[in-house]
Amino acid sequence: MKNKDLNAYIACHECDQLIAMPEALGRNETLTCPRCMSKQLTNYANSLEHSIAFSLTALILLIIANAFPFLSFEAQGQIKTISVIEASYDLYFQGFYLLSALVYAFVLLIPIFYLCAVLVLLVPIRLGLQPPAPVAIGKMISLALPWAMAEVFIVGVLVALIKVIELADIVFGVSFWAYSGFVLFFIAASNIASRHQLWKWIEDAR
Amino acid sequence: MRADTSNVASNNETANIASNGETITEYAKGTAASKGIASCHVCNQLNLSSLTHCTRCNGRLHLRYPNSIQRTLALVFTAFLLYIPANLYPIMTTTLLGDASPSTIISGVILFIDHGSYFVAFVIFAASILIPIAKMLVIIWLCYATTRPTRLSELELTRMYRATEFIGKWSMVDIFVVAILVALVQVSGLMSIEPGLAARAFALVVILTMVAALQFDVRLIWDRQKQQ
Repeated sequence: MKNKDLNAYIACHECDQLIAMPEALGRNETLTCPRCMSKQLTNYANSLEHSIAFSLTALILLIIANAFPFLSFEAQGQIKTISVIEASYDLYFQGFYLLSALVYAFVLLIPIFYLCAVLVLLVPIRLGLQPPAPVAIGKMISLALPWAMAEVFIVGVLVALIKVIELADIVFGVSFWAYSGFVLFFIAASNIASRHQLWKWIEDAR
Repeated sequence: MRADTSNVASNNETANIASNGETITEYAKGTAASKGIASCHVCNQLNLSSLTHCTRCNGRLHLRYPNSIQRTLALVFTAFLLYIPANLYPIMTTTLLGDASPSTIISGVILFIDHGSYFVAFVIFAASILIPIAKMLVIIWLCYATTRPTRLSELELTRMYRATEFIGKWSMVDIFVVAILVALVQVSGLMSIEPGLAARAFALVVILTMVAALQFDVRLIWDRQKQQ
């Protein structure tokens, strides 16, 4: 009896207010905490399918972004072309090992890890199969998300370009557009698979 | 669209899910903690606080993050100390025709003002000076506000926390700018850019303040209501 009642409520993660879960939340309806107005969960239509689709698109775009040149810098007849990975390489070669590792992790490693974890978890659930270690994957997803900084990186690139645009000709590579697209799909994917939604899927799959 | 807010759990409704039917008076009315219910930090599942681990994800259960204020303050003060070298040392050194000119965070802003690019100057000023300092001060002030009544209401304080948490990773822009410039601007014999010591310190400032914001338990702000 007690467990059943506990599942009929949620506690606001910001003010701990107990909120009774509504019987059914309408499409695209958001449940907000009545006391602190924070967003609890949104009932997106076909959220499982959309999560998988957006995550897969983001992952494919990220692979494309790593296969082509990112930016070219042309001055005095010399051309320097870099890929996304090289943005952290040069820091490493200059002896800034920690910084290089951080940039590499925030820009590539953690987003890739997040997307793979979401797909490994959700694709089997969609197909009605048992996902491998759902609870462990769910924990890793929640842990990784605040540290994925793809959108910050794009803004950083734009600021850097403004600094050097007077010095040389800048050419945007295929990678730049692929990475920008990846950022959009990544944000969409992480928005739909909110924490409540994610753990509901995990619970159903167990 | 917002769901009907009438589904607030009233005291009568929730009385039957408390572990012993009594309310714990150190927490505000209507909260899960006052009913002896702990919300899991990892998966938000409600559990009776007599348990030690979450029934869904097996994470450790606490009514509030343990030592939240102490940990947050320790992290913020460390960030403050690191912010000093982040401003004193050069964040990068530009070598133009063999002529090396180191630039700090502030001198980068001044350079853009001199060039007349006020917008870029403002973006860099906001991202690397205004936001980090404001963030650290807000976190310290929120820690203070958990213990005393303040002019701002709980709702306003919660909004400030939300903004701090959201803005956290955007300070990393500066580090990415340095990384891109170092990789891109390498024209042999003409110019090159090298990262400076301040880049390390500043990256740590951003990370430490992010962890501090994650460590801070904003529910403590609402627990004041009971103490008043």
